[in-house]
Amino acid sequence: MKRDELAASLTARFGDRILGVDAFPGLLGRVRFDSTIALELFRAFRDDLKFVHLTMVGATDWVDHREVFYVLWSDADLVYVLLSTNLPPDAPTIASAVPIWPSANAHEREAWDLVGVRFEGHPDLRRIFMPEGYAYHPLLRSFKIHEPEDLEVKVRSD
Amino acid sequence: MWVNMGPQHPMTHGLWNLRVRIEGEIIKDVDPEMGFLHRGIEKISEDRHYNEIITLMDRTCYVAGLSWEHLFIIAAEEALHIVPPERAEYIRVLSAELQRIGSHLMWYAAFVQDLGLTTPFLYGMRDRDLILDLFQTYTGGRLTYEYMRVGGVRNDLPLGFTARCRQVVDWLMDRFVEYDRLCLSSTIFRERCDGLGLLSAEDAIAYGVTGPMLRSAGSRRDLRKDRPYSVYGQLQFDVATANTADVTGRYLVRMEEMRQAVKIIRQCLDWLDDNPGPVMASQLPRWLGAPYAPVGNEAYLLKRNYPTGLGFSMVEEPHGEAGAYIVNDGGEHPYRVKFRSPVLINIWAAKRYLPGYRVADIPPIMGSVDVCVGECDR
Amino acid sequence: MSGQVPAAPKAGNPPAAPAQIADMPLEVIGQPGVPFVEIETLRAREFIPAAKEALSSLLKEQAEGKLIRPVFNWAGRNSLFPLHWGLACCAIEFAAAFGARWDAERFGVVPRSSPRQCDLLIVNGTVTWKVAHKLITLYEQMPEPKWAIAMGNCATGGGPFRTAYSVVPGVDKLIPVDVYIAGCPPRPENMLDGILRLEQLIKERGA
Repeated sequence: MKRDELAASLTARFGDRILGVDAFPGLLGRVRFDSTIALELFRAFRDDLKFVHLTMVGATDWVDHREVFYVLWSDADLVYVLLSTNLPPDAPTIASAVPIWPSANAHEREAWDLVGVRFEGHPDLRRIFMPEGYAYHPLLRSFKIHEPEDLEVKVRSD
Repeated sequence: MWVNMGPQHPMTHGLWNLRVRIEGEIIKDVDPEMGFLHRGIEKISEDRHYNEIITLMDRTCYVAGLSWEHLFIIAAEEALHIVPPERAEYIRVLSAELQRIGSHLMWYAAFVQDLGLTTPFLYGMRDRDLILDLFQTYTGGRLTYEYMRVGGVRNDLPLGFTARCRQVVDWLMDRFVEYDRLCLSSTIFRERCDGLGLLSAEDAIAYGVTGPMLRSAGSRRDLRKDRPYSVYGQLQFDVATANTADVTGRYLVRMEEMRQAVKIIRQCLDWLDDNPGPVMASQLPRWLGAPYAPVGNEAYLLKRNYPTGLGFSMVEEPHGEAGAYIVNDGGEHPYRVKFRSPVLINIWAAKRYLPGYRVADIPPIMGSVDVCVGECDR
Repeated sequence: MSGQVPAAPKAGNPPAAPAQIADMPLEVIGQPGVPFVEIETLRAREFIPAAKEALSSLLKEQAEGKLIRPVFNWAGRNSLFPLHWGLACCAIEFAAAFGARWDAERFGVVPRSSPRQCDLLIVNGTVTWKVAHKLITLYEQMPEPKWAIAMGNCATGGGPFRTAYSVVPGVDKLIPVDVYIAGCPPRPENMLDGILRLEQLIKERGA
C-alpha cells in the first residue's frame, strides 16, 4: 500500500474530516484526522486495513492544542502508520481506543497521567505512574522541572 | 480478597506491585501497579542535549542499555537528518546482539532461581560477566555505557577485540547446551513451567504483547525481519519461535534467540574485520559534536540553523518491541520524546494470562515475562 | 575492649583454671591451653545447669555491658543480612556481587527476602516519592540493630535524575544512612568495599 492509496481510500470514506496524509520518514504516513471520527477511523484501520497492532499512544503539548498520536502496525503490509489529531488545550477529550485494541488501556492511562488527555469510555482511567491524587500532569510544558536561569539582558543603572 | 505482591517481593525482580484477587488458591483478577520507579526520563529529556539523553537510555533499561541507546539513536538521527557510517551501524548491531545475550542470561539467572534451582543463577551470572567484560573493553562500562552517539559510535573497537569476542561466543554456544540439559531435564523446572501462563497469539496481539512472549505462541513476528532497521537486512538469521505458548516456550525462544544472536555476532565480526573505516559521521553540526554547548547570552544570540523533523524508530529489544518518537522543533533539546516500553504492556497483559492459575504459579509466569522495571516506568 | 584481639596465652604458662565458667573472661574461651567446659563431654543432666549458670552470669555482666555486646557485635558485623530488594540499575550489580565471580557470601552477606530477618538495608537504586513511604515501612520493620547503605549516586543524592519531579534527592532524606557508595552504578567490588566499611563502622561504634 502506498501513501496516496491510503489517502484516497480514507478521503473517500471520511471526506474532509481527514485533514491530511503527510509523509513521515520510515512510516507509511502520518494521518491527521478530526477527533470526532476517532472510533470509526480506528475501526476502519483495524478491520478494513488490517492494522491489528496498536504500538503506541502518546500525546504532545503544544501552545494552542494538544496532539494525540497513535502508531499502528499492519501485519499484511509490514508498515507502521501514525495517526494524529489535535484537541483543544482546555478540555482535551477523545474517544478511547480500548474497544478496538485492548492494549490501548495501559497506553491511554499513561497519556492521561503524563499529559492529561481524557479518554472517553476508558474502563479504568486512573493514573499509572504518579500516585493517585497527584495534582499535575508532568509532561505538560507548563510543568517546569526547575526554574529557568535568568539570562535577561539588563540596562545598566549608573 | 486482594493480595499485594510487591513492591518488595522476591517474585517481582524490581519495583512493581502485582495486586491479585484470589478465591482460595485460584487467581480471579489481577491489577498490576506500576510507577514506583517513574523517574521522569521523558521530561528530563526535554531539558537535555541529544547526546546527554544517551546517558538516560542506559538507565532506562539497565539490563539492555545498548539496545535502548540504539533505539534512541535511530530516532534521533532521523529527526536530525544525519546518516551514520556503515561501520558504526555494524558495531551497533554487534553491541545490540551481545546485549541481547547479556539480557537473556540475566533473565535466565533470575528466573530459574525463582523456580528453586540455584546452580543456574551462578552459571548465568558467570557467563553474563564474560559479555560485560567484552563491553568493558570498548565502552568502558559494565551496565551504563554511553557508547553510541548521534552520528556514529564514540570509539572504534580495540585491537584484538574480534578474536576475543569469537572465543567468548564459541564458549557460550557450549554453555547453552549445558543450560538446556540443566533445565529441561529437571523435574522441578518442567513441573513448574509446562502448560503455565498460556497466551495465544491472537490474544497476545490484541493485548499488545510483543517479544519472546508473542513468539512463544507460534507468531513469527520479529522487527529485525519484518522491518529491518540498521543493517539487519544484510544479516542471515532465523526467527526463534515455539508453539507451546507457555512458560517453557518462552524459555526455549530465549535460548534459541541467544544462539541466533551468536550467529549475527559472527557475521558482524567478519564484516568488521574486513571493512575498516570511520565510526563517526564527518558532516556533523558543530553543536552536536560538542556535548556541552556554551550556555549564556552568546549561545542564544548565535543564529544557528537547527534542523527540524520528526523521528520514529522501533527496535526488537530483548524484552520485546521498544519504540521511540522524537519531535524536534529546532534546537539542542528535543521538544518531546515518547518511548514505548514493551515491559509495561507485557506486565499489564497479566490481566489476560494470569487469571485461572494458582498463587504458586505466579513466580514462574511473571518470571517468564522478563520484567525490567526501569523501562516499564521510565 | 571490643574488637581487641586477645593476646594469645603464652605457652607453658597457662592461666589458672577458673572454678566456674562464668569467671572466665570471654577472650580466653577456646584459646589453646585454656581449660573450659567442653560441651560435647557434658552429660545431658549436667549440661542444663552448666548452660544456665553460664547464661545467667553472662546476663549479669550484660547489665554492665561488658561481656555479651562484643559477641553480638562480632557476630552481627560478620553476618550482615541485607534485604533482597532491587530498586533499579544498582540492583543488577547487587545481584552480580552474589554471582560466581564476586561471591559476596564469603563475607557472610546473605540476602533475605523478609525485612524481619534483615539487619541491613541496601538502597540499590533511585527512590521515588511513590515508593518512599514503603521504603520507610520496610526500614521500620527491620529489627534493631540495623544499618542502611545508600548504594549508587541515585540513592546518595538523586544522581542523574536529581532534577526529575518524582525522585527523592537522596535516600538520607528518609532514613538514616551509614555508608554511601559512589558510582553509577558501583561495581560489585565497590559494593563489597562498602559492606566491609560498614563492618569497620560497626566495629568502631562497638560495645
